[in-house]
Amino acid sequence: MSFFGFDTTLPRDRGHQTAAPGFGQTQDAFAGLSSRPDAFGESDTLDFEETYDGLGDQLDETDDAFNDDTFGEAPATQQSIGKDFDFAGRTAQMSNVLQEEGLLHAVRQPPRRASPPKPVAKPRRTGYESYAESSYIPKLEADASIWGTAPKKPAQEAQPSNQSASAPARKMMSVEEVEAMMRAQASQPQPQTQPVRPPPQQLPPTMQYDFPPSQPTPQQPGFAGPPQILQRPQQQIPDQRQGTTQRHPVQAELPGQGVHQPQILQRQRPEHSQPRHGGTPSQHGIQFQQQQQQAQHRQQQQQQQQPPQQGAPLQPRQILQNPNRLSGHGQPLAPQYRNQDMPRVPPTGPSHHRGPSYQGPVITNPQQILNLSEEDRAAYLAEEAKRAKRNHKIYLLSQGNHLMTPQDKNFITRIQLQQLVTATGGADEAGGESLLAEDFYYQVYAQIRGASRQHPNQPANQFAQTYLFQTGGRFGMSGRRQQRGGDNHMQRMEQQVQRAVEAAKLKPKNKQLVIEGSLGKISFSNSKTPKPLLNIKRSEDSRPPSAGPRVSRAKNGSTIPDRKVALRDLEKIYDTLMVLEDHERRMPRLREDSDAAVVQSHMEWTQQMESLNQRLWTELKVMEPIIPNSTTAHPFIALLSHPKGKKAIPRVFRHLSEQQRVTILTMLVIQLDGLDVISAALPPASAGPHADAIVPSASVRDEVELFAMSVIPPLFTYVSDAPLHIVVGLLGLALDRTNISNLIRTKIGLGILTMFVSRAELIRQAQGAAGSSDWDVWTSHYDRLFDEAESELPFIFPGGSNAASLKEVDDVHVWQFLAAMGVGASPDQQQRLVLGVKERVMETVAVSKALPADLAAKRLGNVNLFMRAIGLDVELLG
Amino acid sequence: MDSADDTPTASGEPLDLVRLCIDEVVYVKLRGDRELSGRLHAYDSHCNLILGDVEETIYIVDEKDSDDEDSDDEDDSAGMRFVKKKSEMLFVRGDSVVLVSPDQPKD
Repeated sequence: MSFFGFDTTLPRDRGHQTAAPGFGQTQDAFAGLSSRPDAFGESDTLDFEETYDGLGDQLDETDDAFNDDTFGEAPATQQSIGKDFDFAGRTAQMSNVLQEEGLLHAVRQPPRRASPPKPVAKPRRTGYESYAESSYIPKLEADASIWGTAPKKPAQEAQPSNQSASAPARKMMSVEEVEAMMRAQASQPQPQTQPVRPPPQQLPPTMQYDFPPSQPTPQQPGFAGPPQILQRPQQQIPDQRQGTTQRHPVQAELPGQGVHQPQILQRQRPEHSQPRHGGTPSQHGIQFQQQQQQAQHRQQQQQQQQPPQQGAPLQPRQILQNPNRLSGHGQPLAPQYRNQDMPRVPPTGPSHHRGPSYQGPVITNPQQILNLSEEDRAAYLAEEAKRAKRNHKIYLLSQGNHLMTPQDKNFITRIQLQQLVTATGGADEAGGESLLAEDFYYQVYAQIRGASRQHPNQPANQFAQTYLFQTGGRFGMSGRRQQRGGDNHMQRMEQQVQRAVEAAKLKPKNKQLVIEGSLGKISFSNSKTPKPLLNIKRSEDSRPPSAGPRVSRAKNGSTIPDRKVALRDLEKIYDTLMVLEDHERRMPRLREDSDAAVVQSHMEWTQQMESLNQRLWTELKVMEPIIPNSTTAHPFIALLSHPKGKKAIPRVFRHLSEQQRVTILTMLVIQLDGLDVISAALPPASAGPHADAIVPSASVRDEVELFAMSVIPPLFTYVSDAPLHIVVGLLGLALDRTNISNLIRTKIGLGILTMFVSRAELIRQAQGAAGSSDWDVWTSHYDRLFDEAESELPFIFPGGSNAASLKEVDDVHVWQFLAAMGVGASPDQQQRLVLGVKERVMETVAVSKALPADLAAKRLGNVNLFMRAIGLDVELLG
Repeated sequence: MDSADDTPTASGEPLDLVRLCIDEVVYVKLRGDRELSGRLHAYDSHCNLILGDVEETIYIVDEKDSDDEDSDDEDDSAGMRFVKKKSEMLFVRGDSVVLVSPDQPKD
């Protein structure tokens, strides 16, 4: 046996396994092992102690689940209790067998591992010594003596010969032979000699007691099991439980019982002994009895054990040891019971070992595993892992088993039934309260919470009532289960129905139930008072659907309404534009020979066109009054701040009259400062003359680009045809109404100024500067502009003046402006211009030398725009 | 922000509000934890959208192993990340559109 730490792969052991027919099915018995094949690390060389740990952990709970199956669920008398356990007999048997085995091993093969045998022997004693303190010490010692006798004797070392003789004989016996022997023994309850005992290797199958449902019962005689059960506690106590003194009593219970119960059985039913094996637990029990008898006889014969210990005195001890089992309930359904009594521990925890009886089979596992071939072992382990998984699942599922007594379930059923009956009934306060009082979960919750008030809104009296209800006895925590009886249920059911009826009467008044602690309301409805699905509060002050709110909001100056208004206006403009363009396409062809109808239709078309034009003009809102110092931009300017507004301008311009165009241009010039392409593109005022490049954001650049592409061209087209007085007027407006320095610093502003100046120069060149009054005005305007521009010359170039920016910066519009200014400038002004931008010119020329040819040519071309305007050329600087 | 009571003119359809956003940058929230931000070129009654210069943001919650749930539970944001994609032009099928909103300037 592995018990002694001997090498389990003894050839003799193997012979036993293969020879014994029952061993083919023994794989199931290894449940404990299989559960944790990983834990062992090396599966081939199993460490004995480690295997025990894993097994113990795994087996605990699953074993509990099947305790009923093992011990029988029927309320057991003391007689019936004892049937399944033949601990004393097993112990006796096993002790003898073990001793012999140990001796045999010692003789035949010296232990390969020195360590295992020693620890086993010592801890075994310590475990019992701890028990020895209580009153039942002597009997425990008797067990210990059973075990201890062999070691105490020099048998292991000195007397191998005696036992070795019997071993070979045993080895030769097959299971059938053993069974035959057992039957013979049963018939003759006379002391038998050792050959009758099953070889220890056959013991493992007894594990099936632990998992009766999950495994087919092996054909092996069940009697082999109990001895192992006894064996295990001794080993495990030292191995796993060292230091945990509390566990010892728990484990001690079963050994004590094991000793005691079999005896009872023996006395009560000695006549029942009918040798059978492989049958139901009861059959096993019968066999146990037989075995016990045999064992006792053997023990007596051997004289190694103390006879008085096995006698009647054991009974009282049992009662002391395991009150749960032997107490008046007499219910062996102990598994759950014990679970409740004992601290709940996760299955893996070592603490939960209830009884040693379940861990018995473990002992044999390592041995058998080692005996198996590699394939078999692998298959076995896999199977065991599967089984362990299943057992664990069963355990998990069964964790909550029997948490609720049937009465509890009944209670909850009644609650649910009541709620059904009342059908959202208990509407009012009292109803809700009573519901709470009836609510199992609420009761438990309240108790856990120490009956503290859970909800601040809960009225004190309600709380008090609830509390009284709880402690009133019916619901009292302590005796509630015992006190409730079946008739009580009926009474309460009647009460509840009564309450439900009352609640139903009250229902119309209470359409909602607010349960304390809940976040929502429960609405009730019936045929008379349908549940209102929509609850719209219609207050008197609901504002009329007027435009009032919008106006007020617009006055608040927030940009969002403005933005939306502008967008809406834009949509209208586009609508009109599309209608207009569509209408334009449908223009009737008018010829000289057209009949009246065509002429008529053309007339209508023209009228329609005019009305559409008027509509468009109105929608452009150019003529909206300009509110000085207004925080909101002019509607037309607001339109232009949107990309689609800019894009609309070219299309709009096509349909506008000259007058309308100049009006637009005028409006635009007046509002130049408000244009986003100027205000947003303006470099910060803090920027110094030669500050590093301050590049406007990408979106602003896009806007500027879009404006330059879409708005400027139509304007330019118009200006390029505009007469002088209009140009003069526009420039005057710009000078008067806008901040010229801002215009000069921005591309769009500069472009517009360039537009005016260049147009005036063109007109002057075309017409000559005949001394009309317009030219005087123009000259004065030009002088003002020049003065403004001169002071801005350091800031006129975008992006500063460092070399890097010079290479990339787009400053063509600046050179264009300078050229336009230079053309019309007086010699004095030209000199001032050159002085102002000379540095920039020189830098650009210098930079362009380092640039690729095409870029350099472009750069120099830009500069030349200005240089030539004042009669110079870049080449001269070269 | 576009709510019905802001349209005193009662032009009729809710989509008229979307029309205001044509050629504007809009923010579109889609099913599947996606967001789009781009210029609205066109739409129809199914809220199918054509968007230009779109930036798509996909929010992804990293699945965690259920075994780790007690370890990292307190940090929910750790599993949250997003992916951004840029598209020149997108057709967005209307059944995935949750909302369309004018893209407010960041300031």
